[in-house]
Amino acid sequence: MKDKLEGFVKDNKKQFEVNGPSDKLWAKIETELDKREKPKKSFKPYQWMSIAAMLVISVGVYFTYNYRQANNIDVADINPVFGQQEVKFVNQIEQKKDSLDFYAAANPDLHKRFTEDLKNLDEEYERLKAQLPQSPNQLFTVKAMVKNREMQLQVLKQQLMIINQVNQYKKEESSI
Amino acid sequence: METVYIDKHVELVNECRNGNRKAQFELYKLYANAMYNVALRIVNDDAEAEDVLQEAFLDAFSRIKDFRQETTFGLWLKQIVINRSINYLRKRKLELVSLDEVEVADEIETDFEETTLKVDAIKTAMNELPDGYRVVLTLYLFEGYDHEEIAHILKITENTSRSQYMRAKRKLNNLLETKGVAR
Repeated sequence: MKDKLEGFVKDNKKQFEVNGPSDKLWAKIETELDKREKPKKSFKPYQWMSIAAMLVISVGVYFTYNYRQANNIDVADINPVFGQQEVKFVNQIEQKKDSLDFYAAANPDLHKRFTEDLKNLDEEYERLKAQLPQSPNQLFTVKAMVKNREMQLQVLKQQLMIINQVNQYKKEESSI
Repeated sequence: METVYIDKHVELVNECRNGNRKAQFELYKLYANAMYNVALRIVNDDAEAEDVLQEAFLDAFSRIKDFRQETTFGLWLKQIVINRSINYLRKRKLELVSLDEVEVADEIETDFEETTLKVDAIKTAMNELPDGYRVVLTLYLFEGYDHEEIAHILKITENTSRSQYMRAKRKLNNLLETKGVAR
């Protein structure tokens, strides 16, 4: 079906071609290509940074938590029975302290000395507690801690007794 | 034309897959002119042809991963250019099938034996053809598609493509003759 027109077009195809697009066109295409690539490029470091930041934060949280856990062992963590004992002692200690505060109001000097005795014992307790995580024999340390609480309670009982006697004595004296 | 140098450009195409800007520019330089002419012949407007070209290259570069070497890059790109050009025509609400004028004697082949053919005259005449005629004519005459392919591209029947082409040729001949007389 070759006709004159088809043949002519075929033979002169080059001459039908006009000049190409303007020189600016590639620049336009390039700008568009940049636009399409940029979100990828600028997004990636940002993404990596946020991933890294999240990693740092979670690792940090994990280690601080672990560190705190490791340094914040309670008696109950080592031995639940001792733990219960300690809680019982602490409750009683609180009660006795309240009573002592009440009765000792009239004897500030005495109260001050009593508080100092208790303070020493309490410091000893805190020292033991701080040792506990690194202690080679944690059960032993825990025993000492519970023992310490028990001693605090004993001391308080004695102090209460003394203060009661003192108060009694004062009453008798004033009634005479 | 493309088939001759395509195989040499496999490397370039592969580099484009990795987003190599230099390779993209090389491919652009190789095909910009030819593709511009393809687009211009269809849309018949310089600015629109450039728009088509820009979109087509961007499209090609972003879809280059989909390009399997079953065809040449040039033919693949040309398909993109043609489809984009036709989309532009459709935006202009073009009736791709113009059913105006000549209703009779479609079967008679127009022969150009009596007509003096000149490149410039044909170009001018083609610019004056209705869009529907011009598209079929350019796809057939210049881009070398057969009516089956044109039917597929324009989503018309093969017969419509055939008759459109015949009418286009007749119209072109008329235009050339009147131009010739005018001279």
